[in-house]
Amino acid sequence: MKSRFSLSFLLSILLFLFASPALTQNNEIHVGTSVALTGKYARTGQEQLQGFQMWVEEVNERGGLLGKKVHLIHYDDESKPETGAKLYEKLITDDKVQLLIGPYSSDVTLAASTVAEKHNFPMVSSGASSSEIWARGYKNIFGLYTLADLYMDQIIELGKSKGLKKIALVYENTAFPRGVAEGVKRKAKELGMQIVFEEEYGKASTDFSSMIIKIKAKKADMVIGGSYLPDSTGFMRQAKEARLYAKIFAFAVGPGLPDFGHNLGLDAEGVMGNTQWEPTLKLPGAKEFAEKYKVRHGHEPGYHAGGGYGAGHVLEAAVKKAGSTDRDKVRAALFALDTVNAFGRFKVDATGKQIGKPAYAVQWLGGERHIVLPEEAATAKVFYPFKDWNKR
Amino acid sequence: MELLEPEILLQMLINGLLAGALYALLAGGLNLIFGVMRVINIAHAEFMLIGAFGAYVLFNVFGLHPLFSLLIIVPIIFVVGYYFQRVLIERVVDRPMLTSLLATYGVSIILINVGLLIFSSDFKSVPVLQGSFLIGDLAVSKPRAVAGLVSLVLSVGVYLFLDRTRLGKAVRAVSEHAQVAQICGIDVRQIRMLTFGMAAAMAGAAGVMLSIIYSFWPGSGVDFIQKCFAIIIIGGMGNFVGALYGGILLGVVESFVGGFISTQWAEAVAYLLLVTVLLVRPTGLKGVARA
Amino acid sequence: MPENDQRSISFWAGTVLVGLALLAPFGVNEYYQSFLLQVFLVIALAQAWNLISGMTGYVSFGHAAFFGVGAYTGALFLTWGYPWWIAIFNGAGIAALIAVPLGFLTLRLRGPYFAIAMLGLNEVGRIVATLWVSVTKGGTGLPLPPSLLPSLDITYFMMLSLALGATLLIAWVHRSRFGLELRAIREDEEAAEMVGVNTTRNKVTAFVLSALIPGAVGAVYAMYTSYINPASAFDPARNIEMIVVVLFGGSGTVWGPIIGAATVMFLREMLWAQFPAAHLAALGVLLLIVVLYLPGGLVSIVRERHRERPDARPGESP
Repeated sequence: MKSRFSLSFLLSILLFLFASPALTQNNEIHVGTSVALTGKYARTGQEQLQGFQMWVEEVNERGGLLGKKVHLIHYDDESKPETGAKLYEKLITDDKVQLLIGPYSSDVTLAASTVAEKHNFPMVSSGASSSEIWARGYKNIFGLYTLADLYMDQIIELGKSKGLKKIALVYENTAFPRGVAEGVKRKAKELGMQIVFEEEYGKASTDFSSMIIKIKAKKADMVIGGSYLPDSTGFMRQAKEARLYAKIFAFAVGPGLPDFGHNLGLDAEGVMGNTQWEPTLKLPGAKEFAEKYKVRHGHEPGYHAGGGYGAGHVLEAAVKKAGSTDRDKVRAALFALDTVNAFGRFKVDATGKQIGKPAYAVQWLGGERHIVLPEEAATAKVFYPFKDWNKR
Repeated sequence: MELLEPEILLQMLINGLLAGALYALLAGGLNLIFGVMRVINIAHAEFMLIGAFGAYVLFNVFGLHPLFSLLIIVPIIFVVGYYFQRVLIERVVDRPMLTSLLATYGVSIILINVGLLIFSSDFKSVPVLQGSFLIGDLAVSKPRAVAGLVSLVLSVGVYLFLDRTRLGKAVRAVSEHAQVAQICGIDVRQIRMLTFGMAAAMAGAAGVMLSIIYSFWPGSGVDFIQKCFAIIIIGGMGNFVGALYGGILLGVVESFVGGFISTQWAEAVAYLLLVTVLLVRPTGLKGVARA
Repeated sequence: MPENDQRSISFWAGTVLVGLALLAPFGVNEYYQSFLLQVFLVIALAQAWNLISGMTGYVSFGHAAFFGVGAYTGALFLTWGYPWWIAIFNGAGIAALIAVPLGFLTLRLRGPYFAIAMLGLNEVGRIVATLWVSVTKGGTGLPLPPSLLPSLDITYFMMLSLALGATLLIAWVHRSRFGLELRAIREDEEAAEMVGVNTTRNKVTAFVLSALIPGAVGAVYAMYTSYINPASAFDPARNIEMIVVVLFGGSGTVWGPIIGAATVMFLREMLWAQFPAAHLAALGVLLLIVVLYLPGGLVSIVRERHRERPDARPGESP
């Protein structure tokens, strides 16, 4: 009896599999993506998805891609690389999408791009910047973001110009923050500055108090964090509690988002950070996108939303150039593309790495986020040094 | 080495003591449950998170300060714990310890994932208290100080309850020898339900305190339960005061490890301690764990 | 139902299923082939857990530790240039090697303490994988170059073999003297000692065998997903699945884990993409149901209770 039970059970599963109908494509182009909608990277993932969704809407208003309506299939990878990898397998082999957009964050993209490469399926990535992703000789991963190692260059140069010498460096132990850290170490060496403190922390770490005690002891001039939003926010809070003072505080991801200023209030004042893009940049369609986004979502878009939007445009340009959604043609088109859209210039090298777009430094001033470096694109002057805690 | 300055060591010590007070409160409750009914409640840290999320919700929906929320949440969780014991744990108290372990494991999984369904896995916090008190050169973080002190007060309160009141002595009697206590006329079943309710309430209070210091998500409990295991196994299973001291000790050790090695190593301390003690010196557990 | 009939039904049912499984890759698309691969993975892990926990009575809450060790070992050997079958062999080997001293140390602990120790060990595994950055690359994880990976068909058949092998191992142990001694240990260890059973040797052997299989499974898994990191290699959800699959299906039996695996995987497939938390919550509920109401698992419902041997208990196959 029990054997009959399990036998019929498994038989029915197998029958179900064999009889399962194939996905009908009809007159739509399916684009697939998985973004972090929950977990540590949730806020940034949501922004990216929203930016992309805006492109989907607009392209359909304009008549679609190659005359067909664009339909987006998306999942939540929970900020976990292993989940992202599984979801991209599903998108490719089960949902059978024709086009792929990458996830948010370098570590999830690292895993997802391996899946894309395995299936020889080109993926446009707007949420990743770690050079590790492009150091593997893959042919199917195309990035929009400026590389992580370059993030802190301008800020470190600023420090040097003010005569600062000692840098404290903390970062999460995943791909992107490590990339930022590598860049910091390289630049510091180049400029003859000293890394007096360096520590990696885990993705789930929320307690920075021990690190802050040590940084205080080392009397660092600059504190640089290879971080995402929750950790940069938490760090600044705890820095205030411990009365950690430095002339420059800079974080990779965090200050580029409206949430940073919103959550920290006055404590965000003077904190510097990175951005891949700001709505104030003079790029075609940037202003319109920013206004439309603000009306729709109630706040100005940060660069994650901009990146999502830009990725859509890159995909559009590639498909138009290729004249089809055939993977090989799209891949070739992506390699050859050199275009400017609302997010900035897109041009990649032979590994798919982005080489055409610069990065910028922001600073929170008067409750608002401003571009301060490079000066040509700046909307405000750098405020230096960071105001001490008891002087606010 | 700059770290050996007295102010810095003192800073690490204070941070450790304050964090340890929280651990003590949590581990004390777990220990009570074990002492009275020989049940290891793996879901204990999830009760803590119920408190934390409760504070979060009350703060965001009603604007209630966590210290006020404490007054609301603690009694509620007490009642929840009381009935939880009645409905679930009573069924497994007479069975081998492994059965109750599996049952509480199941409950823990359910609670974590229901929490995920409701709140998702983003980090949440209740950052009402900010900044620090300045005592000479020492910056004592306000949220940590408050959380630590409240935890300490509650722990001492429970200790006094156990030591001085009749009910408390009844609880201790049941932990010593349930059958004899029964014969002496103590309603053992009631005591069990009371104890569980109290322990759950302690966990809930610890959770409210947690919410003002750290960011948390439904999965945060996993690390805390391991810390609790480490504490009570080292401090002596069933030994309430041992758990209190053990909690504070763990907090201090973690703080110094974080200071002298790294934060990631500090996070590993409890696990390493737990596994090492269990593997190397199980006899150190007063013969309870030995096969 | 007489024992011989039961045995032959078991045998034929098993043969049909294996036959179908062998044919499946030729008819089914990649996605469903992956699904089946994961079913085999769960079955293999469940049978391994069944060996130490169901049959020997040492319930482990952290067996995924060996899976993780195998996953990392396999992945590393692959990146160091070894062929995939050596990587798998080493994954199993290293897991087993680690299990020997661990077995001697942990099996001294009684019931719940053993469970907690194993739970702690799973986390220690994750911590080692995170902190030993020079080898494992820590939190970033190890993406495996697609050029080194074996094809889906190969990983499919490997996983099928592991599931089959694990099941046959359990079936064999069941009927052997070794299995009898393990059951004796489960019933009353001290009594078993007194009648001359070498409990230590038996326990450790069961433990090492139960570590070897997850080691191999982990290595194959790493090659299938092409990416592992400490969180996915030492995922606590895997522990939960091992426990629930076996207890729900029927611990200590041969078919129990298979039925349990089918149930859990079906649940998972319906929920994982959209509602991952619901899947685990459901497992928690299943666990509670088993503990409170159904200690023998599903197998005990379907099977008629009747004694073939004096020492058979409800829910156990003869």
